[in-house]
Amino acid sequence: MSTPAVAADVTTGLRGRPGRVASSPALRLIGKRLATAIPVLWGVTFLTFLVVNRLPGDAAQQLLGINATQQQINELRAKLNLDEPFLSRYFSWLGHTLTGDLGSSFASDQSVTSILSERLPVTFELLAYALIVSLIFTVPVALIAARRPNGIVDRVTMAISMAGLSVANYVLALILVYVFAVKLDVLPAIGYVNPSDGLGPFLKSLTLPAISIGFPLFCFYTRLLRADILEQMQGEDYVVTAAAKGVGPWRVLVRHALPNSLFGLLTVVGLNIGTLIGVTVIIESIFALPGIGQALVEAINNRDLLVVQGIVLVLAVVVVIANLITDLLYAVLDPRIRYGRTAA
Amino acid sequence: MAAQLPEADAQVPSLALAPAGAEFTAPRRGWLRSLDVVIPAAMLGFLLFLFFVWPLFGTVGKPTGGNILDANIDPFSSGHLFGTDPVGNDIWSRILYGGRNSIEIALAVQLIGLIIGGSVGAFAGYWGGLMDSVLMRVLDVLIAFPALVLALAIAENLGPSKTHTIMALSFFSVPAFARISRAATLRLRERTFILAARLSGTGNARVLLRHVAPNVLPQLVTFGLLGMGVIIILEGALSFFGLGIPPPNPSWGNMIFDGQSILSAEPRLVLVPSAFLFVTVLSFNLLGDALRSRWSAV
Repeated sequence: MSTPAVAADVTTGLRGRPGRVASSPALRLIGKRLATAIPVLWGVTFLTFLVVNRLPGDAAQQLLGINATQQQINELRAKLNLDEPFLSRYFSWLGHTLTGDLGSSFASDQSVTSILSERLPVTFELLAYALIVSLIFTVPVALIAARRPNGIVDRVTMAISMAGLSVANYVLALILVYVFAVKLDVLPAIGYVNPSDGLGPFLKSLTLPAISIGFPLFCFYTRLLRADILEQMQGEDYVVTAAAKGVGPWRVLVRHALPNSLFGLLTVVGLNIGTLIGVTVIIESIFALPGIGQALVEAINNRDLLVVQGIVLVLAVVVVIANLITDLLYAVLDPRIRYGRTAA
Repeated sequence: MAAQLPEADAQVPSLALAPAGAEFTAPRRGWLRSLDVVIPAAMLGFLLFLFFVWPLFGTVGKPTGGNILDANIDPFSSGHLFGTDPVGNDIWSRILYGGRNSIEIALAVQLIGLIIGGSVGAFAGYWGGLMDSVLMRVLDVLIAFPALVLALAIAENLGPSKTHTIMALSFFSVPAFARISRAATLRLRERTFILAARLSGTGNARVLLRHVAPNVLPQLVTFGLLGMGVIIILEGALSFFGLGIPPPNPSWGNMIFDGQSILSAEPRLVLVPSAFLFVTVLSFNLLGDALRSRWSAV
């Protein structure tokens, strides 16, 4: 993603525009990004509709099973409006969606909004847990590794992180289950405990899935942050200046280089949200967590079109918003972008 | 020699600066200098030999159609290096043939990505304008779309098979290659040698083929190597949902998935394919990483 370039475009395009509000780079950026997000979201929903519609068999067949007569199938099809042409069904869905009505599931009659509000929190809790834990470990480990490049700590960290990047999430998940649930019996292998039933059991139920997602993330982020800090330490004038003024090496690392490297990392975190959502689909089904990923797989299997549509729409919106926030953070935090690009 | 030329004096400062940056990269001599490439390449070579050549000469059983009477033989028994699975198939043989499937699929997916994504990205980056904008929006759609869902839907739509797995996974590789290739082409477009080629009347097609492509290709190949691991892991993930390579044909994914249900009783059914998956992906990652740092140091 050419994030800085996009943000810079916005600010350089501002010259000579009157008005404080209109020239606020952040607001212009939001406007521009929202405008490009609309065709993207439209494309995603249309593609989903097309793909699910092309799947062999429809909801009526899946719901009634193989023993149903053709007449029964036809009746249910008419009831679910499946007999209407593809485009008219898509546009009717689009019209309802724009008024906030996502329809309801063919299978359970439950409204898609209530399915989403039931399932989304689980997935978000899992992702937040994984992200927070991985970032908490990333910063100190990357700093220690970057303190002495090619030193023993650095080499060990790089070796571990390369190994972590090569482990499939599902393999890691199964090994964790085998060690911590089967052998040591300290953490549950499957299932989800609602946070209202106690914070301890809730965190316990999410720990193994969060590590399965978080450990490879930690490895990825640590490599990235270390490389970025090293780049700052070797090339940047402000680091040389600070060192020349007699600032200690740790202080240069933590107070001068780290803040600059950190928002490079935050950008990657933001842009990666989309990939992470894909990962949760697998992890949720291994650990039997009632999250959005499981709901999606179920809905695809049932040809439950409106549920698939609702979930994919929400996920795409989350990805778009995450990217937008990342761009905004860039514009707000980086003075080079905030004040317009100086270097050509 | 160069010092005899008067204008060479002006160049001395910049020439003197160049080795200062390079002293980090070239302290070792001879083949030791390439150790970071040689080791993963040797590991990969050995794995490829096992998957593709060994079954032709070695005494490896058939990966399918095992006898149920031979079920659950212990590892390291005669004729069965890793024992047999609950339906009596030799695990070692399934590992080798599964590895062959994984490599073939990943290679095909990355080649499709390289050829289609790479050329689409280069076209978009080279010409820019409306075509570029439209293309980038299409890529945005593919990237905002949860790609695993698309892969699941395609595999489910067309039924599980090797070809369909390749098609489904190409939805990951094509947009990724297109982005990399576009970004690289955008940088190249501004370079003097491209300008010189165009000024001397070279046609667009020739510039793309003879000047852009050779410079973008190393970067794409490196990216492709790093992506091999991702695709091998994703192929396993598809098998995990009962898609991908259809059983009884072996793939590491469906071996891990089958073993999952009896994880506590027979962990080796999961651990053996997992270990091979790990080592293979690790080799690709190490090789890609070494080539990338070499490439970016130039």
